[in-house]
Amino acid sequence: MGGGEGLLRRRDLTTPSLLGLPLGWLGVFFVAPIVIVALYSVDVYSLFSGPHGFTLDAWHAFARDHVYIRLFWKSVKMSLIVSIAIVVLAYPLAYYLALSGTKRKYVLLLLLIAPFLTSYLLRVLAWKVILGDEGVVNSFLFWTHLRAQGHPISQLLYSRFAVMLVLGYIWLPFVALPIFVSLENLDRRLLEAASDLGASRLRSFRSVTLPLSLPGVIAAFFFVFVPTLGEFVTPSLVGGASGYMYGNQIVDLFGTGFPDWETGSVLALFLIAVVAVLTVVFSRFLQPQQVAAE
Amino acid sequence: MNDVALSRNGARVLRGFFALVVLFLYAPIVILLIFSFNSSDVPAFPLSGFTFHWYREFAANGDLRGALWTSATIAFLTSLGAVLLGVLASVALVRRRFRGKAAVSALLLSPLVIPYLVFGIALLLLFHTLGVPRGALTVVIGHVVITLPYTILVLVPRLEQIDESLEEAAYDLGASRLRTFRSITLPLILPAVLSAFLIAFTTSFDEYAVASFLVGTRETFPIYLYSALRFPSQLPQVIAVAVVVMVVSLVVVGAAELGRRVAERRVSL
Repeated sequence: MGGGEGLLRRRDLTTPSLLGLPLGWLGVFFVAPIVIVALYSVDVYSLFSGPHGFTLDAWHAFARDHVYIRLFWKSVKMSLIVSIAIVVLAYPLAYYLALSGTKRKYVLLLLLIAPFLTSYLLRVLAWKVILGDEGVVNSFLFWTHLRAQGHPISQLLYSRFAVMLVLGYIWLPFVALPIFVSLENLDRRLLEAASDLGASRLRSFRSVTLPLSLPGVIAAFFFVFVPTLGEFVTPSLVGGASGYMYGNQIVDLFGTGFPDWETGSVLALFLIAVVAVLTVVFSRFLQPQQVAAE
Repeated sequence: MNDVALSRNGARVLRGFFALVVLFLYAPIVILLIFSFNSSDVPAFPLSGFTFHWYREFAANGDLRGALWTSATIAFLTSLGAVLLGVLASVALVRRRFRGKAAVSALLLSPLVIPYLVFGIALLLLFHTLGVPRGALTVVIGHVVITLPYTILVLVPRLEQIDESLEEAAYDLGASRLRTFRSITLPLILPAVLSAFLIAFTTSFDEYAVASFLVGTRETFPIYLYSALRFPSQLPQVIAVAVVVMVVSLVVVGAAELGRRVAERRVSL
């Protein structure tokens, strides 16, 4: 009975009809735009009319002209410092929540993560108010006469320090989540076994807990490093000249001053390529569930 | 009690550290709250007096309300689109067998890692090439792309939890796939659909980079904030808005989490 009939009835909602819309949407509005950027970068397309055809000039200039590469390295270094610092800070938080046996762990987790779910720009705004020359910190120092009026600590805002502080502040709650998930899934009996075999807590942490939570740590690192590398909003608001990042350069090349879409496309595509390589390298550590807030 | 993971002193140290970090995370928000009631034009110590002035001014600011409204509209349309596409894709990923599933799922999730700035520019070039004028709808198109993976990440685990035999039973009783989806699957995944909607909404509402390239002359709320941040004359008023938006989003997040737990307890079979 039923086999053929069942198939007949199941003709609606076929796989192509399910996937057609999502894949079509991404094809037109995600893949095609990136292809266009690639075409701009080799001057097959151009903003301006006039003779143009395939050329790698912009790519050669990018490789030869060390300005962009150096700026890229500076951004890599800043993102690395931020990502590593907050992963190291978040680990003990996640450890406390997952393994201390506290009864309110989900409430505390929500408390930790909630700031991440509020507006990004407003959190930047808060730091701008705090760090400015006449901001909360400096005016507090004047008021308490810890510093002479008119002599603020001006390195607080518009500096590389400010960019890294604010980025760390923004991403710290997010980082705790994948680490928490990996520690939460850890089988406690392994720790009991290690303890029964005479291992100290430090020893079982080093040989059991840390290695087993490493996938979460690596995922956390990846999901902070990638977006901060392409960051431009925070540096443009609190970075000043010394906090200028690779992303700011891309925006400026596409901006209104002296637009150079061809070079801008090269820089943009280079960033995509780096991110793609990182994603492939890290992919065996990344489980999609780790970013879904469960 | 002798715990295998943490000594009593260790737990005490970590609890202290946790409290410190929470303090660090909330202090800036509290500082904004304090200065939103401060009567001075400049947010600086010493505090000069208590006022509701900035809240009244914000309530009277038409540009700001317009920007909030634009963002809410964009976020609503984005969430509808992203959830629709996300449900379709998730059902295919969880319930269907087809060739190249790994590649399809990688493509569907890849907007997670694209730098938003680059994506915004790329989409701008596409619309430029096609001659499509920029506006709220072009922002929605971009936001659907970047929020789609989030909806899939919420929906797929929920679909995986649902016993497939419930759907099989519906087929055996003569229901079509569409009917089965409507009467069996959808009600069961509804909590996940709602949280996917909420995630897409908040992501879109808060998104600056993509919107800044695609919106044209309309102002979304983040774009309004960004320009207000660069020109600090409106700062106290913006701080008042900040407080309102943050409090609302914290309440929504808390309520959603509570609602999700209640709902999941009810549908878990």
